[in-house]
Amino acid sequence: MAEKLVIMCTHGPESPERATIPFVLATAAQASDVEVVMGFQAEGVVLATKGAAERVAAPSFPPLKDLVAAYFEAGGAMLVCGPCVQSRKIDPVKDFIAGASVVNAARFVKECTEATNVLVY
Amino acid sequence: MAEMTADQVLDCSGLPCPMPILKTRKAVDALKVGQVLKMIATDPGAPGDIVAWTEKTRHALLASEREGDKYVFYIRRQK
Repeated sequence: MAEKLVIMCTHGPESPERATIPFVLATAAQASDVEVVMGFQAEGVVLATKGAAERVAAPSFPPLKDLVAAYFEAGGAMLVCGPCVQSRKIDPVKDFIAGASVVNAARFVKECTEATNVLVY
Repeated sequence: MAEMTADQVLDCSGLPCPMPILKTRKAVDALKVGQVLKMIATDPGAPGDIVAWTEKTRHALLASEREGDKYVFYIRRQK
């Protein structure tokens, strides 16, 4: 995969459409031979917790849980902002779904500067 | 359109974006090089999506047509 897309997600279950569209783009990009890295900040970190995707369904889009499953099946990973997790009292060990991991600013900078394009939602 | 033959048929009727593309990708991957997939969709964005997807992945969109509320595409696996 020569091309790489970074998608930053800053919304969670409080905004179903904004939580879903990043996964629509991510999975379509994966299906188009584009490498995808998804980063989660602010309220978006909630999407990395168990049961969150199951609670999100935006009208006219597939259920978020199906898109998350497709994203992981295609080899995707969720990079989740450490301070955003801490401020929400989320325990990565107990609360994260498989495939999600905590990272900090330097990792996001590295991913974004190495990417062909970066999308922020 | 001339009569086309397909090795596999994938019906994505009723599926919203991006599911037709995700399922088409899997179906094309399951073909042998040179084989043809007939994909059916009802999503109005499908025609543009299939053109973009075949260009991006370098598979061949042999033909497309509209049959009532359905869009029909013939895609040949190229690689």
